Amino acid sequence: MNFFNKQKQNIKRIAFLFTGLAFIACTFDDESDPNRPSLEGVLSEATVNQLNNLVVGVEATMRAGKAGQTTGSGTMARELYLFDADPRNTGDLLGANGAVLDNNSFYSSSPWRSRYLAIKNANILLEAINNTDAITSSQKAGYSGFAKTIIAHELIDVVKSFGKARVDVSDPSNLGAILNENEAYSAIDTMLDQAASDLNIAGGSFAFPLAGFNGFDSPSDFLKFNKALKAKVALYSGDMAKCLSALSESFLDLNGDLSIGPKHVFSLGSGDQTNGLYKIIDNNGDQIIVHNSFINDAETGDLRVNNKTVIRSNPTGQDDLSGSHQTALYVTNVSSIDIIRNEELVLIYAEAKILSDPSEAENAINIIRASAGLASYNGLTSQAALTTELLHQRRYSLWCENHRMYDLRRYNLSSTLPIDRPGDQVFNQFPVPLTENE
Amino acid sequence: MKKFQKSFFGALFLSLTFTFFSQLNAQQISGMVMDEDSNPIPGVTVIVEKTNEGSITDFDGNFKVNANQGDILVFSYIGYATIRKEVSNSDLSIIMSVSNTQLDEIVITGLGTSVKRSNLANAVGTVSSEELVGKTNQSTIDGALYGKVTGVNITSSSGAPGGGFALRLRGISSINGNNQPLYIIDGVYLNNAEIPSGLRFASGANRGNEENAPNSLADIDPSDIENIEVLKGASAAAIYGTRANAGVVIITTKRGKEGKTLINFNQSVGFNTILKKIGMRPWTSASVTDAFGSAEAQLFNQAVNSPTGLIDYEDLIYGEQGLVTDSKISASGGNEKTKFFIGTSYRDEDGIIKNTGFDRFSIRANIDYEISDTFDLSLSSNFTQSESRRSFTGNENEGGLSYGYTLAFTRPWINLNPDSTGTYPNNPNYSGNPVFVRDKAINDNNNNRFIQSAKLTTKLYDGEKDRVRMIWNGGIDFLANETYVYVPESHQAQNGADNGFIGVGKNNFKNYNFMGIAVWNRDALSGDLALTTQAGISNLIKDTDLIFNQATQLIPGQTTLGQGSAQSISQTQSLIKEFGYFGQIEGNYKDQFIGTAGYRVDKSNLNGDPNKFYGFPKASLAINLQNFDWWNFSKIDQFKLRAAYGETGSSASFGSVFTSLNQISIGGVGGSTIASLKGDKDIEPETSKEFEAGIDFRLINKIGVQLSFYDRNVKDLILSRTLPTSSGFGTETTNLADLKNSGIELGINIDAINNNSFSWNSGVQFWFNRSEVTRLGVPAFPQPGAGFGLGLGTFYIQEGQPVTQLVGNVNGTPTQIGDVEPDFQMSFNNQFSIGKNLELSFLIHWKEGGENINLSRLLTDLGGVSPDLDTPEGSTRSGLGFVAERFIEPASYMRLREAAIYYTLPVNSLSWISNDISSVRIGLSGRNLITVTDYSSYDPETSTNGGSGLSSGIEVTPFPTSKQYMFNLNVKF
Repeated sequence: MNFFNKQKQNIKRIAFLFTGLAFIACTFDDESDPNRPSLEGVLSEATVNQLNNLVVGVEATMRAGKAGQTTGSGTMARELYLFDADPRNTGDLLGANGAVLDNNSFYSSSPWRSRYLAIKNANILLEAINNTDAITSSQKAGYSGFAKTIIAHELIDVVKSFGKARVDVSDPSNLGAILNENEAYSAIDTMLDQAASDLNIAGGSFAFPLAGFNGFDSPSDFLKFNKALKAKVALYSGDMAKCLSALSESFLDLNGDLSIGPKHVFSLGSGDQTNGLYKIIDNNGDQIIVHNSFINDAETGDLRVNNKTVIRSNPTGQDDLSGSHQTALYVTNVSSIDIIRNEELVLIYAEAKILSDPSEAENAINIIRASAGLASYNGLTSQAALTTELLHQRRYSLWCENHRMYDLRRYNLSSTLPIDRPGDQVFNQFPVPLTENE
Repeated sequence: MKKFQKSFFGALFLSLTFTFFSQLNAQQISGMVMDEDSNPIPGVTVIVEKTNEGSITDFDGNFKVNANQGDILVFSYIGYATIRKEVSNSDLSIIMSVSNTQLDEIVITGLGTSVKRSNLANAVGTVSSEELVGKTNQSTIDGALYGKVTGVNITSSSGAPGGGFALRLRGISSINGNNQPLYIIDGVYLNNAEIPSGLRFASGANRGNEENAPNSLADIDPSDIENIEVLKGASAAAIYGTRANAGVVIITTKRGKEGKTLINFNQSVGFNTILKKIGMRPWTSASVTDAFGSAEAQLFNQAVNSPTGLIDYEDLIYGEQGLVTDSKISASGGNEKTKFFIGTSYRDEDGIIKNTGFDRFSIRANIDYEISDTFDLSLSSNFTQSESRRSFTGNENEGGLSYGYTLAFTRPWINLNPDSTGTYPNNPNYSGNPVFVRDKAINDNNNNRFIQSAKLTTKLYDGEKDRVRMIWNGGIDFLANETYVYVPESHQAQNGADNGFIGVGKNNFKNYNFMGIAVWNRDALSGDLALTTQAGISNLIKDTDLIFNQATQLIPGQTTLGQGSAQSISQTQSLIKEFGYFGQIEGNYKDQFIGTAGYRVDKSNLNGDPNKFYGFPKASLAINLQNFDWWNFSKIDQFKLRAAYGETGSSASFGSVFTSLNQISIGGVGGSTIASLKGDKDIEPETSKEFEAGIDFRLINKIGVQLSFYDRNVKDLILSRTLPTSSGFGTETTNLADLKNSGIELGINIDAINNNSFSWNSGVQFWFNRSEVTRLGVPAFPQPGAGFGLGLGTFYIQEGQPVTQLVGNVNGTPTQIGDVEPDFQMSFNNQFSIGKNLELSFLIHWKEGGENINLSRLLTDLGGVSPDLDTPEGSTRSGLGFVAERFIEPASYMRLREAAIYYTLPVNSLSWISNDISSVRIGLSGRNLITVTDYSSYDPETSTNGGSGLSSGIEVTPFPTSKQYMFNLNVKF
C-alpha cells in the first residue's frame, strides 16, 4: 500500500513540476525604438521644438547628394571630370565604349533619392503642422510657405537632372504619377503660388530659425526667394513675361552684389556635413579636374577661370582622360554653396529679355562680363548670337553648379559637346531610377 | 477488492519466491577489464543482460556483479566495442578494443537527453575533437569545419588573421536576416556578431559589413572543444524554435574524467605565407607609353635604371611570413564525485601584412560535481582576451586606405617607401600610400569575453521503470568589445580635408539564456519500449549597447579622441527578449523503431506582436532494420531508414518594426530627418519547414554510408526591398517571399585496412544544394547591399530563380550571368597509421561550380596594373567597358585543406626527463597548402560584405588568403 502511495505521490510531484513550468511566463511590452524619436511622435500634437527639428532636417537634407549630382551632370556636360575610386565616373557618364547610363547605379539613384529625402522631410512638416495646436495660424502659414517653397526648389533640381519628376509624394503607399517636364513645371508653379500666398499671411517673422538664409529669413524676404524660383521655372517653361514679372518681385538687383542669395552652409559639427565639392589641391585619387575646353574656350582675361580653377602642379590622368586644371571653386571643406544667387538672376533676366528687348539683354550680359573682368559685348545682336553669348556667360558664371547639362539640353545643343575619346557618347539626362518601377 | 488483493499478494509472493530461488543460484562474478595494451579501463559498464543487475569497473578495472551461470554479461564503454561474454566459474578477464564504429556514439540533440547515433533519425553532422584540431592547428572554430560535415558551405570572407567565415547549412536560409547558424556552447547561446569598427567613415566604404570585421567566434579556442554537432536543418533543429532557421551548431567542451589527472601540453610553431600571388605586369617601356604616356615612360626608365629597380608592391605589402605560435596546457582528471578540466592557451599569429595579426589568450575551467545522489552540477567558465589587427582591406571610396584598392593604381616605378627623414611620399596615382598605411594607420579590435555556463541536474525520482529528472541550464556570454581606428592627419587623403581620423567603438554585449527542462524516462512494455518525455521553458535576453566615437581634425601627432576638434558620437541600443515552451516525446521500441514528436512555441519582441506565440512542430522516425529478429545479413551491421520533419523560425532584426527619425544638424543646430528604413508594425518571423529522409548502412564493420535527401521551404522571408525613393524612404522590411532549398548529402567512411603495422581510414563526402525563390510579392529587384548595381553584377531576387543567382544588365535587360551556388562539393579525408608510431593524414576539399564577381580585376584594369593586360585576352577584356559579363569568373577549386604527419616517440624514450611523461608526439602540419583553381584573384573564397546575408562571391580587393605551415609538439603527462 505504501508503495503505491509513494508512486502516486511521486507522480503528483512530477505532474506539479511539469505544470509549474508552464506558469513561468512573461509578458513583453510593446517596444519603442530606444535609439531615436519615432515618426508617429511628430505627426500628432507636435511641439514647436519638434516642428523646428523638422525644419532643420529639411534645410540640412537640401544639401544631400549635392556633390554627386553636380559632378554627375558636370561630367556629362563636359565641364569637368571626377577622378576618384569609382570607375563609372570616367566610364558610364561619358558613354565610354558603348556604355549606357544605368538606372540602378549611384549616379542615377543618388540624386533622385537625395532630392526626395528633402521633399519627404518637408511633407512630414506639412503633415505635422496640420495635426497640432501648438502654433498660431500665421506661424502655421510660415511653416507651410517655407516647406512648399523648398519642395518646389527640390523638384526643379529633379526635373533638371531627369527630365521628369513625381510631384505628389506625400503618401508613400500611394505615389502620384511621374510627370513630364511641362506638367512638372506647371505643378511646381502652382505650388510656388500656394507658398507665396502662405508667406503673405505669415506675419513679420518665422517661428523657426534658418542657417543659410541670412537676409531671407523673414516671410517677406523669403518671398523674394520664392519669386526667384518662380522666375526660374517660368524661364525653363518658356514664359518670359511671367519670368520677368516674378523677377521684379524677387531679390534681383542689377546693380547690387552678385553674390547675394541663400546658401547651403556646412560645418564640422556633430551630425553636420562638409562641402563635398571641395577637393584638396593637387590631391590624387579624388579630384575634380576641369575639362580642358573650359580653359581653352575662355576669353582672355576671364577672371572666372582664375577664380574657380587652378593649374595642377603634377598633371594627372585616369582612364585615358587628362586635364591641366583642377577645381578651386570652394576654398575649404566648409565653404558654402549658393542655392541661387543674384548673378544667376541677372542671367535669367538677360535670357528673358533676349526676344522682347535685346538691348536690355545686352546690358545685363555686360554687367556679368564686367564682373568677370571682360570688356563689353561687341558681337552680333541677333537672337541667335545673343543666345550663344548668354549660354557662354552661363557656362562660366555657373561652372560646376549643376547648370550646364540642362542649359544645353533645353536648347538642344548637347550634341555640340566635344568627344574626348573615340567611342565616347554625350548623354544629357539621367534615367529615372529602377526603383521607381516606371 | 478482496479478490484483487488476494491475487496481487499471490503474485507478489510468487515473484519474490522466484527471485529468492534465482538468488540461490546467483553468485558474485568478478573480473577485470583491460584494453589492448593491458591498461585497466575504469568506468566500464557491466550489465547482466535482461536484468537490472549491473556494476561499473573501478580504478583498476575490477568489477563485481551478481549473476547466474549462463547469464550473459555485457561490457560497454564509450569509444570501445561492446563485448558480450557468458558467465563462467572463474574470474573473467575482458579485453576491450577501441571501436571504429560510431554506432554507439552518443549524439546530443540539444535537449535534456542524448541519443545513440545508431538511433538517430536525422543526419546530424558530428565533428570530434580529433577531427577538428587533431591534424593541424586551427585558429577559429568555423574555419576548422571545412570538409568535415556534409551539407555545409563554408566560405572565408577574408584572409585576415582571426578569420571570418560564412557558414551556410543546406543553402541560404534568409535573404536579409541571419544566415549564420545558432552557436551554442555548453548550453550558452553564443554571440557570433561581426562588429563594425566605423572605419568606413575614413575610407568611404558604403556600410558596416564592408569593413572586414572579425567574427567574435574567433574568441573561442577550438582545442577546448570535445565535439561539435551540427543540426543542419529544421527537422533536427526544430526544438530551438525561433533562432534555428539557419541550423544549430552545438559545441561541447572537454570535461574531466574519473581517474588519474592527465596533463596535456601542446606547443605549435609555424608561419603564415600568402597562398597565391597575382604577380606584376611585365612592363616594358613601350607598354608604359601605351598605357600612361611618354612622361610616365620616362619615370619608368629612370626607375629601371636605378638601384631599386621596379618595386613589387604586392610582395612588399603581402609578402611577410607571419610567425604563428600557439601554446596550450590543460589538466583533466577527477574522482567519483568531482571531475575537472582546466586549460589555458595563448595564440599569437602574425599576418602576411606587416603589423597585422591576431592573438588570443584563453583560460577555461570545467567542473562537474556530483553533489549527492540527487544533485549534479556542471560548471563551465571561460575567459578570453583577444586582439585582432586587420589593417585596411576591402571596398572603399577615395579613402586611400584599402591595400587592394591602392595597389590597383600604384605603379612599380614610383617609389613610395619613406625617405631618409622618414617622410612618406604621396602616391601620384591614388589617394593613399600603401606603405604609409601599413606602417602608420591602425585598425584594431579587442575583445574581453567571459562565458559562464551552469547546469544543475536534479534526479527527482529513480525507480525501476521511471526516472524523472529536472535540468536547469543557463549561462551568460558577456563581451566587451573595443575597436580603434586611427588614420594620421598626414595621410594623403586626410591632409587638408578631415585631417586625421580616430574612431573608437565601445560595444557591450550581454547575452543571458536559461532553460528549464523536466525529463521523464519510462520503460514501458517490460523494457521493450523506452519512452522519454520532456518539456521545458527557454528564455533568452540579448542586451546590446554600441557606442561609436569619432574625431577628425586632429592635433598633429595625437592619437586620442579628445585631440580632435570635430567630434561626433553615436549610440545604438537594443534589447531582445525571447521566451518559449517546448515539449517532446520519444519512443524507442527495442532499438528497432525510434520515433519522436515535439512542439515548440516562441514569442519574441522582435516580431510585430511581441506576445504572439509562433509554433514549431517536429516529428521523426528511424527504423533500424538490423535489429529485427528476422534480419540475418551478417555482413550488414546496420541498415537504417529514417525520415524527419521540422519547422523553425527566424525573427526580423531589431528595429524592423520602427519608422524613426535620425539626427542631423545644420549651422550648429540639431534636428530630425526621416530615416531611410520604413518600419512594419505587423512583421512576422520567417519560418522554415524541412523534410529530410535518408538511409544509413554499415557493411562488414568497415564501410559506413550515410545518404540523406532534404527539402526545405522557407516562408514569409523578410525582405528589405528598395522602395521608390520618391517616397522619401529607401527601404522597407516586410514579409514578402518564399524560398526553397533542396539537396543531397552522402557520406562514406571506409576502414580499409586495420592491423598492427598499417591502417588506413578514408572518408568521402559529397553534397549539393539547389535553391529557388518560389514566391515573390514584388517585382524582381537587386538585393541592396549585396552588389554594386546591375551595371557591375549583383545578387538579384527573382521568382523562379535561385536565390544565389548573379544578374547584370546585358543590353539593358537584367540577365542571369552566374550563380554562386556550387554544383557540388566533395571532401576526401584520409588517415594512415604506419607501424606503431607514424601517422599521416590529409583532407582535400573540392568545390565544383559556382561563379564569383571579381571587381578587383575591374580596378586593376582601370589602374593598368592587371598582369595580363599585354595578352590578347587581357586587352580584349579591358576594352569591354563596364559590362557585367566581364567580371564573372568561375570559382571552382580543389584545395588541400589540411595535411599532417605525426610521429609518436616510442614509449619511455623520454623517461629520463621525467617518469610522468606518458607520450610525446611531434609533427608537421599545414593548412591551405595547395589550391588548384582557374580563378584569377587571390582566393575564390571571398566576400566583400562579411559573413551574414547574401554575401559570398563578390570580391573587392580582399585581404589575401594565406597558407600555414606548423610544427607541433604534444606531451602528455
